[in-house]
Amino acid sequence: MAAVVTHSQESSARTDARAGKYLTFQLGSEEFGIRVMQVREIMGLQDITAVPHTPPYVKGVINLRGKVVPVLCLRSRFRMETAEATSVSCIIVVQVQLSEGDAVLAGVIVDAVSDVVNIAPAEIEDTPDFGSGKTTPYLLGMAKVKGKVKILLDIDQVVKATDLAELNEMPHEHDA
Amino acid sequence: MSMMHDRENAPGGPVQAVCDAVDELATRAMLGEASEGGAGNVIPALIALAREARGVKLEKIATNAEELALRLAGPDGRNSTVLLDGIARLQETTQASVQAAETERDKTPAQEAPADAVAQSPAPVEAAGWAADPELLGEFFMESGDHLNSIEAMLLTLEQDAQNKDAINAVFRSFHTIKGLAGFLAFPNIQEVAHEVETLLDCARQEKLTITPEVIDVVLASADHLKRELDRLQRIAAGSAAEDAQDHRPLLDQVRAQMNPGDGRQKAEVKSPETEAKKAEPEARTETTKKNVAVESRMVKVDTSKLDFLVDMAGELVIAQSLIEHDGQLNAANNPRLQRNLSQLARITAEVQRTSMAMRMVQVSQLFQKSARLVRDLSRKSGKQVELEVSGEDTELDRTIVEDLSDPLMHMIRNSMDHGIETPEQRAAAGKTPLAKVSLKAYHQAGFIIVEVSDDGRGLDRQKILKKAVERGLVQEGAALTDKEVFNLIFEPGFSTAEKITDVSGRGVGMDVVRKSIQKMRGRIDIESRPGEGSTFFLKLPLTLAIIDGLVVKVGEERYIVPIFAVRELFRPAEDARYTVEGRDEMILVRGNLLPVTRLSSCFRIEARAAQVSEGVLVVVETTTKSFCLFVDEVIGKQEVVIKNLGGTFKRLPGISGGAILGDGRVGLILDVDTILSGIEGNLEHV
Repeated sequence: MAAVVTHSQESSARTDARAGKYLTFQLGSEEFGIRVMQVREIMGLQDITAVPHTPPYVKGVINLRGKVVPVLCLRSRFRMETAEATSVSCIIVVQVQLSEGDAVLAGVIVDAVSDVVNIAPAEIEDTPDFGSGKTTPYLLGMAKVKGKVKILLDIDQVVKATDLAELNEMPHEHDA
Repeated sequence: MSMMHDRENAPGGPVQAVCDAVDELATRAMLGEASEGGAGNVIPALIALAREARGVKLEKIATNAEELALRLAGPDGRNSTVLLDGIARLQETTQASVQAAETERDKTPAQEAPADAVAQSPAPVEAAGWAADPELLGEFFMESGDHLNSIEAMLLTLEQDAQNKDAINAVFRSFHTIKGLAGFLAFPNIQEVAHEVETLLDCARQEKLTITPEVIDVVLASADHLKRELDRLQRIAAGSAAEDAQDHRPLLDQVRAQMNPGDGRQKAEVKSPETEAKKAEPEARTETTKKNVAVESRMVKVDTSKLDFLVDMAGELVIAQSLIEHDGQLNAANNPRLQRNLSQLARITAEVQRTSMAMRMVQVSQLFQKSARLVRDLSRKSGKQVELEVSGEDTELDRTIVEDLSDPLMHMIRNSMDHGIETPEQRAAAGKTPLAKVSLKAYHQAGFIIVEVSDDGRGLDRQKILKKAVERGLVQEGAALTDKEVFNLIFEPGFSTAEKITDVSGRGVGMDVVRKSIQKMRGRIDIESRPGEGSTFFLKLPLTLAIIDGLVVKVGEERYIVPIFAVRELFRPAEDARYTVEGRDEMILVRGNLLPVTRLSSCFRIEARAAQVSEGVLVVVETTTKSFCLFVDEVIGKQEVVIKNLGGTFKRLPGISGGAILGDGRVGLILDVDTILSGIEGNLEHV
């Protein structure tokens, strides 16, 4: 089952666009991967300014050397239970492509970063249908590396603008 | 995503592999792998990278990587900054190389493109032009654009004073430069037009030709043609679909036609006594022309994104400096020399920030030049004799404001020329001089820039505006309105009093758009007008869009910035000044006026510390339409902040216009008082 096939990068690129180098990180008991090409920075947790009228998983904004960058909590984005921040919790700053064509920076909070791994096409499988009928838009696929499953994220979809301002879906809390 | 896909499959595969390797190294460095096992284990990776890069002819990356490997192996290799800095430099080089490789690839199809465009189209030749370095191309666009602007200004000078040799020479030189650049980059159309005009002007220089209004017309037309042509090329360079070049041959014929007619007659004119008499005046103009040339040569052109980056970094420097200044340990050291050095650092930092801000400022003269051209063209077209008077051209404004001001200003001038200024006959009947005047002024006033647009025309017609407003249902019949209120009606959407629709103005779009764009720049517009004497529009604009004076307030644990221009007053209310409507909506009595109270905590759904109004502070804010009180826990103070965009990830957030970096390096949100209320009204609909 753990068939580790090492392809050279060029040949793998030809067979599966999803293959390549990924930065892997932990969220609860699961392991996820983001393309290395999109990772701009890894930083420790810091003070985050909350932004009103945004969904709960938008933690707010931080100052990244003079730029205001939004930060998302991946746990609450994926509806996982919240956890206390630890000394290894960190913010991965990624560059994402919005549908309007702008490339913007965004931070995602994860439990811990693990490693950079090269994932070959043979190790990638499509996301299984979990019975709901629709595939999850932000999953690129699953990778089995050395017997462990890593979930490959399409980080662009995770950060998509439409979600950040989904005001109408917010449950309305009654004003006192 | 898709971009990445393309790149990986693209012929530039090996380049991509190098690029990936660099990215991986960077991520590894960030992960801190190097610090665990020592920088040593990055060295083999660097050497492998260098070899790979050399294999695909990315010489720069290779040397960079080797140098870094050497440094890491050296004595200061343990220092983590060496690794991080080195990697950062490596990434920069890689990016530049990849971009270069991409342009290389992009341009290959252009060269190979079959000449499917018809023979007369210049497409194949243009492709050769694209082969040039994109940076060179950008410089060409910028430089030619500048030359065309100065050509226009000089021609308008020439029109006033046809004998101004310096102006002729300046125009000649500008066309000559454009011709040279276009020739170098192989844009034959531009080159040809510039060449013909240059020849024409050369005749004028050698006094073989008199500058007549017709000559100026044709030179202006050529400048316009070149401008359009440059725009077209720029669009293509930016990646939009190729457009056909404009036909420049009729223009060439026009230019040539100016060169031939009766040389003898024109030569005679040159020596006419009238021109001799004029000699005295041109002297003064010569001075200004020379000054302009001198100023221009000391300029450096910088990409605005680099400037913005510098402003960001200067802001960060100020924050870092203030963190050092307020550091407890340093202060406890109580070392006079340290204190002196620190305050020196503070002064320098402030100066750096001020200077970087000042670099964004440009003179309004460019805008005024454009107006001069417009007034000239319109007065020709409408048969009204109009003179433009300008003052304060050297007043400086933020670059973005100058750019955004262009359209509204042009519209206002068009409006003045069309509606304000009478025909020469009407003027004569009113006992005025036939030569009408439109004036443009710019000056500082109390931290703002005022731009005045005035005319000595017929003034706004109160009755006509009122009648129209009643027709449109904007006001009630018989409403008692002050002049100011009546005049402001012209800013209402869909309002237009022009009796006939001309191509100049009067389509009912305009003044409302003008007001909107001025408001968008956080400015305001006021009118003064006297029947028969003319009207003046006052545009009050902030010096810059990048900085605002803000009032930093605190609610719960969060800090917000209220723009000072919206704040009317602050006070701590007494509990008995508060009234409620239906037990819920709060009102407060301020000097006899009842104002609604908006709790920022409930707008933004955060926990406030102050529950009773007497425990907090009320900030009376003014929007364009109304005033209300914003209830906050406390006011921290006034601060000048640099406005930052929250980025494309957040669409419109009600009540928030942007972010700013506060003194401690954290982000504070800037409130948008106009939409805070609409956010609330929106909320009420849900209830």
